Amino acid sequence: MTGRLTALLDTLLPGDGGDWPAAGAHGLAVHAARLADDMLGGAEAMAGVLDALPKGFVDLPQLRREEFLHEIEAQDAARFDAVITAAYNAYYTDPAIRDIIERLTGYPNRPPQPEGYVLDPFDESLLDAVKARGPIWRPVD
Amino acid sequence: MTQTADIVIVGAGAAGLAFAWAAVAPNIKVVVLEAGGHVNQRVAPSLASDWELALQTTFNANPNLRRGVADYPVDDSESVIRPAIFNAVGGSTIRWGAHFPRLRPSDFRKRTLDGVAADWPVSYKDLEPFYDLNDEIMGVSGLAGDPGNPPRATRSCPPLPLCPATRRLAAAYDRLGWHWWPSDAAILSRARGTRGACNNCGPCGVGCPRHARASADIAYLGVAQAQGVELRPGAVVTKLERLGHDITDVHYVDANGPARLSCGEVVMAGNALGNARLLTGIIDNPLFGCGLMLHPTAIVTGLFKQNQQSWRGAFASALVSQEFYESDESRGFIGGLQLQALRGQGPLTTALGGYGLRLPWGQRHKEDFVARFGHSLSLTVTCDDLPEGANRIALHATQTDRHGLPVPRMIYRVGENSQKMLDYGIKRASEALREAGARQIAINPLVRNGGFHLMGTARMGVDDQAGVTDARGRVHGMNNLSVVDASTFVTAAAVNPTPTLQAIALRAGTAMRDGKITQRAIA
Ligand SMILES: Cc1cc2nc3c(=O)[nH]c(=O)nc-3n(C[C@H](O)[C@H](O)[C@H](O)COP(=O)(O)OP(=O)(O)OC[C@H]3O[C@@H](n4cnc5c(N)ncnc54)[C@H](O)[C@@H]3O)c2cc1C
Ligand code: SF4
Repeated sequence: MTGRLTALLDTLLPGDGGDWPAAGAHGLAVHAARLADDMLGGAEAMAGVLDALPKGFVDLPQLRREEFLHEIEAQDAARFDAVITAAYNAYYTDPAIRDIIERLTGYPNRPPQPEGYVLDPFDESLLDAVKARGPIWRPVD
Repeated sequence: MTQTADIVIVGAGAAGLAFAWAAVAPNIKVVVLEAGGHVNQRVAPSLASDWELALQTTFNANPNLRRGVADYPVDDSESVIRPAIFNAVGGSTIRWGAHFPRLRPSDFRKRTLDGVAADWPVSYKDLEPFYDLNDEIMGVSGLAGDPGNPPRATRSCPPLPLCPATRRLAAAYDRLGWHWWPSDAAILSRARGTRGACNNCGPCGVGCPRHARASADIAYLGVAQAQGVELRPGAVVTKLERLGHDITDVHYVDANGPARLSCGEVVMAGNALGNARLLTGIIDNPLFGCGLMLHPTAIVTGLFKQNQQSWRGAFASALVSQEFYESDESRGFIGGLQLQALRGQGPLTTALGGYGLRLPWGQRHKEDFVARFGHSLSLTVTCDDLPEGANRIALHATQTDRHGLPVPRMIYRVGENSQKMLDYGIKRASEALREAGARQIAINPLVRNGGFHLMGTARMGVDDQAGVTDARGRVHGMNNLSVVDASTFVTAAAVNPTPTLQAIALRAGTAMRDGKITQRAIA
């Protein structure tokens, strides 16, 4: 089963031959399965999609696998959606992937708190134009 | 032994705790019954790298998916918008964005000015001192002098800063000649007492470990308890006992089992969904339950070529444009809309679609992710929803929750006027984002998970023909029953409701404290 899940993850989130590893090859199958278990109906969705994979799916080329997955997605979009969520959850919370994100985007690989980011002062001069246009609310009474 | 209280409040959310603080006095015993427990925001999920998972689980805004111990199921099968509430001490403000705008004076006069709905039996002027008081207690960052609103007192903290993307947007609004202003936010930009200053981290929706973001528990609970208010967390109210025109007792269940409070006054602050479960059958006014307003919301996202690092900054509180707020017949609809900037999304939420559409899986995924993450800015189109009779909250005939309380049904479709407003707002939001330099626009035409502003169903009116309650939330035809949350709204306006519902609660609580309390039931 892990082999099929690995192949499924590799198809959903393939590597790009450069910065990004494929999700399955990166060893996320067990984690993704656990995260699916945490979701309402997630375990059933994962089992259903894995069951729907054709024989020999693991050995097919990426494009062919994608075709099969599109068919499975069309049959039951909600079920497939849960599997995608579990896959993305596993991938984008993985520390090594977060390192890659930091390198490529500048988003620091640390929690938002306690460090946060600098809170600069608000520059009031930005409002000169809008102030100059005057009030726009309707007075009553 | 029968327990007694002068005032029993159902719900310790934004309205309930504000009311409790205002109503308590040395000779008035106030007890707040809250189904949920305390949430310790000092250990919020944002202290861990996988914080975004909490948005799907413990902090999921949809109670049907969150399924916490205090959550009750909501039947949303007849609604295009799903419920978004939080049941805990602090109520839905545990989960909120703290965007803190006020209604405008014209919002209270919709019938007179626009010939639709009804006028409120209160005016902006009546509520103004309570808006001010509430601002003081919640702690508001912002800037007085907004030409979109009546003058108001200096805010307690300076505004939260703009980020690169919102600076671009502000400049675009200036070029278009449109109104914009930094948001009033119930977030401290300067430390106060035990509350730290905001450090711009982004995910306010999973709680603020610095307590910079006000929630009702952080802002009101301590000061209310210091004055004698008693909070009973984990106490689910299961029944109001009625005798003639009085509620004599409030039944509840907590960890010790079933209990009962004999009460002088009963004050409902459980939000429109929570209230309906207890008031149906108690209030016999045919208006009760009808006229649910939800602020149908579209989200328009602009993608910029350059990285804007738009994961920084309080997600919902940056700047607003109210250029299209007041009615203008030439637009083809009545009422107006607000454009509110949204940001602060992490990588996982971006991949899952965040405010817009999920990134496609497969070979293009990574390329799309790099192009989008940190490169986006979104605008909500918040519409002045009109109260329509068919939009309502009713009770399920057979389904009940674990306490035997009926499951509420949300019955809601987007009315024709609101749909026109949404379409118009989407065009304006797209125009602004393009002007700001966005090279691609993604449109979410209706936020399905957007049932976060529950307004109407027990609207105020001068008498029982015009409304379910009077201007202070007292239910017409009952001696000691009040509703003090946004259920009493007569119209929705086009802004987030919490400052207004809290001002209503403060006004009602003050009136009750100042001599209008009946001591009847205290045997
Ligand atoms: C994701 C999200 C974002 C939001 N952002 C904003 C924003 O930026 N600005 C804004 O103005 N508003 C925002 N809101 C809306 C805001 O949170 C609500 O308007 C506000 O909290 C409503 O206050 P309330 O007291 O009426 O109800 P709530 O705060 O929902 O509190 C009701 C309480 O009553 C309790 N209760 C219900 N039934 C019972 C019972 N039978 N027994 C005991 N207790 C009961 C519930 O457990 C709950 O704690 C947001 C909401 C969400 C979900
Ligand atoms: S952005 Fe500011 S208010 Fe929001 S959680 Fe972070 S520190 Fe708190």
